[in-house]
Amino acid sequence: MSAVIRTVNLVKIYQSGGVPVTAVDGVDLHVGAGEFVAVMGPSGSGKSTLVHMLGGLDARTSGEIWLDGKRVDTLSESAWALLRRDKVGFVFQFFNLVANMTVADNVELPALLSGATPKQARERREYLLDALGLTERAEAPPAQLAGGEQQRVALARALANEPSLLLADEPTGNLDSRNTRDVLRLLGEVHKKGQTIIMVTHDARVASLADRVVSLLDGQIVDDGVIPVTRRRPKAGAGDVVELRS
Amino acid sequence: MSALRASGRWIRADLRARRGQALLTVLAVAGIVTALITSATLLEDNTNPWRGLFTQTDGAHVWISAQGPLDPAPLAALSGVTGVAGPYRSAPVTLTENGRRTPVALRGLPAAPPEVAHPVVLEGRWLDLADLDGVVVERSFAQAAGLRLGSPFQVTALNGTRHMLAVAGIAETAEQGFYPEWTPGLAWVLPETLDRIEPAIGRSQSVIGLRLADAEATRLVVQGAVTLLDERIQRIYTWREVRASMELDNRLLGLLLALFGAVGLAAAALAIVNAVGARVLTQSRDFATLKSLGLTRRQITGMLLVEHGSLGLLGVAAGLLCGQLVTGLALNGGAGPPLSFVPAAAITTGTALVVLVAVWLPAWRGGRTPPIPATPAAPPRGHLSRLARLAFVVRLPPALVLGARDAFTRRVPAMLTTFGVAIPMMMITIGLGCWATLDNFLAHPEQVGQAAALQVGPGRLPSSEAERLINADPDVAAVYPGTEVDALEPEQTRTVLARAVGTSARPYPFVVVEGRPYADRGEAVAGQGLLDLLDLKIGDRVRVTVGGTPLILRIVGRVVEPDQDGEVISFGLDSLAAKDAMPPEFYSLVLRPGVDPEAARARLLAASNQDLEVRRVVNPAERLAVIRVVIVALSVVLALIGLANLLTASAVGLRDHALDLAVLKAMGLTPRQVTATLVTGTGVLVVIGVVAGTLAGASMAGGLIDLQGYTSGVGAGIGRTPSALTLAVVMLLAVGAALLVALIPARRAARARVPVTAR
Ligand SMILES: Nc1ncnc2c1ncn2[C@@H]1O[C@H](COP(=O)(O)OP(=O)(O)O)[C@@H](O)[C@H]1O
Ligand SMILES: [Mg+2]
Repeated sequence: MSAVIRTVNLVKIYQSGGVPVTAVDGVDLHVGAGEFVAVMGPSGSGKSTLVHMLGGLDARTSGEIWLDGKRVDTLSESAWALLRRDKVGFVFQFFNLVANMTVADNVELPALLSGATPKQARERREYLLDALGLTERAEAPPAQLAGGEQQRVALARALANEPSLLLADEPTGNLDSRNTRDVLRLLGEVHKKGQTIIMVTHDARVASLADRVVSLLDGQIVDDGVIPVTRRRPKAGAGDVVELRS
Repeated sequence: MSALRASGRWIRADLRARRGQALLTVLAVAGIVTALITSATLLEDNTNPWRGLFTQTDGAHVWISAQGPLDPAPLAALSGVTGVAGPYRSAPVTLTENGRRTPVALRGLPAAPPEVAHPVVLEGRWLDLADLDGVVVERSFAQAAGLRLGSPFQVTALNGTRHMLAVAGIAETAEQGFYPEWTPGLAWVLPETLDRIEPAIGRSQSVIGLRLADAEATRLVVQGAVTLLDERIQRIYTWREVRASMELDNRLLGLLLALFGAVGLAAAALAIVNAVGARVLTQSRDFATLKSLGLTRRQITGMLLVEHGSLGLLGVAAGLLCGQLVTGLALNGGAGPPLSFVPAAAITTGTALVVLVAVWLPAWRGGRTPPIPATPAAPPRGHLSRLARLAFVVRLPPALVLGARDAFTRRVPAMLTTFGVAIPMMMITIGLGCWATLDNFLAHPEQVGQAAALQVGPGRLPSSEAERLINADPDVAAVYPGTEVDALEPEQTRTVLARAVGTSARPYPFVVVEGRPYADRGEAVAGQGLLDLLDLKIGDRVRVTVGGTPLILRIVGRVVEPDQDGEVISFGLDSLAAKDAMPPEFYSLVLRPGVDPEAARARLLAASNQDLEVRRVVNPAERLAVIRVVIVALSVVLALIGLANLLTASAVGLRDHALDLAVLKAMGLTPRQVTATLVTGTGVLVVIGVVAGTLAGASMAGGLIDLQGYTSGVGAGIGRTPSALTLAVVMLLAVGAALLVALIPARRAARARVPVTAR
């Protein structure tokens, strides 16, 4: 299995008021194409820091990051930005959408950024919003959407350019159970189509959707394993999955 | 290219979300650029019509009036003289028109226009032998006297005979300044006509103009002419005085506009830094999102630069247009071309640069927003200060305490806001100071050296009869006989106005700012302009020549002198030789307080059966009335700038507190208290800014106006600070308007459902 992302002894030390805080402490991670990895751990264990470094939002202190077989930890901030347009999609817990722009514009942005014509971007947006059942909200500002809707739009936007890697930092952390289910359904669906996903969560039930769970503690990987066969997932399985294109 | 499209979407969306603020930016910048363009146009030399007129008319550099006939040959032979205009005979006559009597210099010119200093006909035609009753009138005088083509032109010669002429043409010339700055008014007739109107050579003058090879060489030529003509010289002046008289008002306005424009530009730059900075702060989360999508640092900076910069540039362009329009409207009185290319380009690029730098600073900061959306720029946290704790203990309203504390949590924006309000306020106060000074001119003309409201010439009456009529009028409080003569200054290169009025025993009530009034024969007071011109101090002696008689005067005081750029020397009639002093040329009448000068004038005219010449003294404030328009316009622009700063401040305040609102409400603050907290946050800064700005403006206004008075020759001592009441009202208005502006968004925020989200 070829690695989409690979880290070697990855370390992040924050200088917080002169005191060094080691947020990520020598992480070796290897995620293959099409894998769905859940990252778990208590609050402050370095999950967000790790994911931010994988997407180039934060610079590593030492170690290596390889994305699609290319070393990327040495890239500059703007080179990272260019790389993200095509290869990395992000979904965060909050603030995923540009507040001033309509839902439609928000979803069209990545396509425009990667060089699509306005027409192509519009077609892609129409397809994605249709799949999410949000066509009617296309012209609304994000603030008028419910939390679950916002996260689904964010997900649509993150997937708009079919990135090699989808990074999600507690995408359901702010949602009630119904909305959580909607978002997870969508994630499961894209995973089935071969999308590589790394998702941070502290919710065991959410993590159970993944193929593999990585546990962090104080910035170190303390456990890395495939979900046991005795997971609760099968029961939820097939019925949960909704066709993207309904 | 791809990033351009994405940025374009974002810019469009953002502009749509804040139309009002965008418009405000455009308007503020446009206002400032308009002021700068207008001021540069007014200050620029070529708006002074003199240059154009001089070239068009092939003007003469030096003009000399002398008693009796004049032989031009020796003057033409002076070295440096390349051409001669005249000599022309010129007779003093009085134009009677609708009961008004105006002194006019009637000048005899040939039907064939001369080579040097030929007037340029604007309307009608030049003098023609076929129409001996035709007269060509100088444009500014025709305008002031309401004369048009074909208007009757009834003149009365010194011997009392009346002649009916008609206006055949209106022409411009560079041989003297514009009426009424330059008196008497000028009209041309054929020599034949002049002989008929004023046959007596002795009652007329000869006027000759000398054109020089080198405009700077006037001094030597003038000295040569003085040596040749000596006692016969009555008046002598060069192109410099003509030019200066044409530019007087423009310069004053131009300086005022330049001052306001420059300070306004600084204020506008501050407002832009402030507004863009706040906008960037509010949007840091969006920038983070955009970055996580793949926009680079430079692209975000560029996007902000394009968005806010284009607003500024739009303002510059609009201001450029407005400036052209305004100057076009203001200078339609035949004044030269609009602003030439170089200063226009300098102003455009200068303001554009200032705007771009002002935008670039916060845009650069915006580009450096970390790309992690989960970490919004939180306001710096601080402890409640000891002062605040104390305030709670003494039970000050909590909203006040919390708001006041909030005002200073962001130090730099707080300072920017305070300055952003203080600078416009300061300029508005200075503007009010100008206004108050003008009001004071009008309300107390005696404080600007115009104690006398009327000037009466005896006209055809003997002076004893004139005096009897004046003294019989019940409204006249005091009468000062006087004579104005041209005095050759010591180096004899030009004449200055010498005003003999009152007597040493009973001096005219000048406003003496330094020194004392004249109290003895040979003592004189002078305006700042004269002191500067002759490089004199109080206590110095100066030798002038009046009608050929040397006169040694000791300057004992400086007076506020609104006439002739302050280049006037005044003394008692008794200091003048008897032949020059008697009979007095005019009587300056000080009226009883509260008497309408127009009514007094009408009564005097009636009493004398229209034989007296009664003239109202023109208050300098009447000439400067346009300044009031300028002050109002600039105040509006400045208020806009202040408003922009205010909106910014309240936006930042709201943003900082959006998430606190839930907490505040949970703590038990009512929506009204929450509103009050938010309003206090900006209100405290506004109050500080307004008070500081007003105080600074008030303390500077008097000095600045005096400085202006000093440079314009009137002299220091005219500046007035707006009254305490005016200042208080303006401060209250400013603070009230500011609070109102802050109140609307604050109320909305306080009422809004608060999203409960983590930071
Ligand atoms: N910008 C920062 N500056 C200093 N310390 C930070 C910063 N971001 C995170 N940390 C610290 O790094 C550690 C890991 O944080 P984070 O990755 O956010 O944990 P998690 O997402 O697992 O809750 C924590 O101790 C946190 O306090
Ligand atoms: Mg986290």
